Amino acid sequence: MTGTVAPERILKQLAELWVSTGKEGAAEGAQGVLRAATMTLVVIAEESDDVSALGETLAALMPEHPARAIVIRLHGAGERALSERVYAQCWMPFGQRRQICCEQVEIVASDAALADLPSVVLPLVVADLPVILWCRSARMLEMSEFPDLAAIATRVVVDSSGFSTAGAALDWLTRAVRQRTPLVGDLAWTRLTRWRETLSQVFENRQNLAPLGTAARVRVSDGGSITTRALYFAAWVKDALESLGTQVSVTIARDAAVFVEVGNGQFSVRLERQGECVAVAVDGAEQCTSLPSPTDYLLMREELGIVRPDAGFEKTLASAARLVYATE
Amino acid sequence: MLFWSSMTTEMTIENPFQDALRFERRVPECAAVIFGANGDLTRRKLMPALYRLAYDRRLSAGFAVIGISRTPLSDDQFREKMQEAVKEFSEDTRFDEDVWRGFAAGLYYVAGNIDDPDLYRRLAKKVEEVEAAHHIGGNVLFYLSTQPSQYAPIAAGLGSVGLNHSTGWRRLVVEKPFGHDLASARELSDRLHEVFDESSVYRIDHYLGKETVQNILAFRFGNGIFEPLWNRRYIEHVQITAAESIGVEGRGAYYQEAGALADMIQNHLLQVMATIAMEPSASFRADSVRDERSKLLRSIKPMTPEVIRADTVAGQYGPARIGGEDVPGFRQEPGVDPNSRTDTYAAVTFFVENWRWAGVPFYVRTGKRLPKRVTEIAIHFRPAPLAIFGNGNSGGTPDLADGAPNLLIVRIQPEEGISLKFLSKRPGAGMNLRPVSMDFNYGSSFGERSPSAYETLLLDAIIGDATLYTRQDMVEASWTVVEPIEKVWRQTEFPFPNYAAGTWGPKEADAMLARRGHSWRKP
Repeated sequence: MTGTVAPERILKQLAELWVSTGKEGAAEGAQGVLRAATMTLVVIAEESDDVSALGETLAALMPEHPARAIVIRLHGAGERALSERVYAQCWMPFGQRRQICCEQVEIVASDAALADLPSVVLPLVVADLPVILWCRSARMLEMSEFPDLAAIATRVVVDSSGFSTAGAALDWLTRAVRQRTPLVGDLAWTRLTRWRETLSQVFENRQNLAPLGTAARVRVSDGGSITTRALYFAAWVKDALESLGTQVSVTIARDAAVFVEVGNGQFSVRLERQGECVAVAVDGAEQCTSLPSPTDYLLMREELGIVRPDAGFEKTLASAARLVYATE
Repeated sequence: MLFWSSMTTEMTIENPFQDALRFERRVPECAAVIFGANGDLTRRKLMPALYRLAYDRRLSAGFAVIGISRTPLSDDQFREKMQEAVKEFSEDTRFDEDVWRGFAAGLYYVAGNIDDPDLYRRLAKKVEEVEAAHHIGGNVLFYLSTQPSQYAPIAAGLGSVGLNHSTGWRRLVVEKPFGHDLASARELSDRLHEVFDESSVYRIDHYLGKETVQNILAFRFGNGIFEPLWNRRYIEHVQITAAESIGVEGRGAYYQEAGALADMIQNHLLQVMATIAMEPSASFRADSVRDERSKLLRSIKPMTPEVIRADTVAGQYGPARIGGEDVPGFRQEPGVDPNSRTDTYAAVTFFVENWRWAGVPFYVRTGKRLPKRVTEIAIHFRPAPLAIFGNGNSGGTPDLADGAPNLLIVRIQPEEGISLKFLSKRPGAGMNLRPVSMDFNYGSSFGERSPSAYETLLLDAIIGDATLYTRQDMVEASWTVVEPIEKVWRQTEFPFPNYAAGTWGPKEADAMLARRGHSWRKP
């Protein structure tokens, strides 16, 4: 592993990569290759992170969100070390004769070299396109080098479930959102999309809203601990009902089950995870909806589709932060 | 959110659990009643589109379909036929047994003759049963995939048993052609309006459901750089081409009655032209967009018989040998009159009478048995006012083999995308210019699958979004433009066949452009 990485060298390697990939494509009888990029995706991952799983996630994302991917692998403590590798991710769309390829750059950096990363990454981002920074390392978020790297990004995606406590996670996120640049996304919130959608569908029938009237209770449980996900869900339901003028009381339960309950004496809705499905009980009548646990691919697929402020998330985050203090 | 509906004291509660950024569009519970459920359109397009929507979980849990046709079939037999159709015609969707099982549980069938009043009584009963079993909230989409002559009788039949009203919504989707001239289009609308309000009538033009046609709006009104150039000052002319390499493929009898002008230009291509040339709408609400499209169609300059003779060309393909295979002429196709005078090719020069487009020709052509299947719009920009590289002093001349270096091409099918052609210096000594192309390819920038036009339009109709549907005034404006051409063509003895299959149409079409110093692109 060398101690330096010259962005110019990486850019030259990228240019050479296109020449060789193009020649290979033409030699195989296809109509050459098409370079595609709608964003730069910077991924920060610990060295212990499963390399092949991450590679598969990125490969699955590329056809829908073509990007120049820059994967930064954190080598951890030890002497200063920095190295890079350049390659292409290609696929042949169904029924077409031309391959589509995306560029990938892998940079390995020890902690001692983290301060050098912004100067390496900045020249590598594709001009005029959004830069999404997906930080899979909770450790990195707390390091002093992170803000300079995040400043390059249009949007930073983190996973608050990796923080030591929900309170610490919400503190970090609230500070990040207040700064406005870059925008912030949280995969713990993304994991709730299908749950929220399922609950929303229950209230598509407006007759189900009417009995909630002036008061309602909300109970959320995420398997025994107070997680950001539970707080988000509770805060989101509370905000929605309060917008109707309903007085809402919230409880974050510490049950082993994963569920959300909304109701009062006259009416109740309960969503509860049961294996790969969620049981939806409306006033006692229950049915099961398939709800497999979302993979990193599905979560990032949703997040990469959003490159503007997510007002719903920001409002919920603020409410969840208030809730965590009330709970703690 | 609470709000008071206008003029009433009724308070409506909006679902507060919404997230437009992340949730799929809300799709209400409903049933679709398809008249002509045994027909080609249902098998090839509608059922695969509905199945795909079910596959993508875009339909509500209780979604149901009631198929109507003359052939006696049980529900199970209908399900089997539709399963075969989905397997055969779903081009890019894996057949999933579980998804199909759930979807098929909502398929029902009622056999009967459209002229028989009893059919509508039995249908009303079936809708009640479906309502009880699937909780569709009173919402029913009636899809008329039948002969156009049956549209009005079906609407009347539905009205006779009160199927046009409910506690939910009732919508009527009709396929083209919407009449065969202005008078019949008006009469059809009048008869439909006896039963359904115009706001409940959805006239489908599947061209408008294509992603790339929708993208024209995004391209024009979502970007600031093109709109300032989008006028007579910078655009010399526009070419709209919809070419098919195939013949009438078993539709000879139908096609013989319609012809290229009525089958393609009156509806699809005039709608595409309206989308390219319309003024920006104040919002993206259905009626705002449709108002502007309608205004554009009404601005097309009416053509006198003399102008029609000069600025339109009718064609019919004759036999030819293509790639070693003998291809029949139109008159030799099964079901076609050997002396048929039907146009299989039509080219028209339109002018739009408004400040933006005055004097800019819009050349529109369509035809069968042309060299390739392609639909595209080519915007030809005016050349640079001074050709400083072509005077011999600069050491080179522009290579104008392409004909129009400043060209913006919107490809609708196949390989949807946008290309910008401009001149660039060739590397090396001297100032030799060559046209180069800057390409945006839909498939590579957005790798996700584009929904088919019918998926988009069916979902829009269920949701109640009529933006991509044609309104009565638009249909009438199109017929006002096309009807005089048809009238002159009917009185003209054309030397049909006048182009060989596999060529770009009659010579007269080239001459039509040459008179204004232009030539057709060969896409």
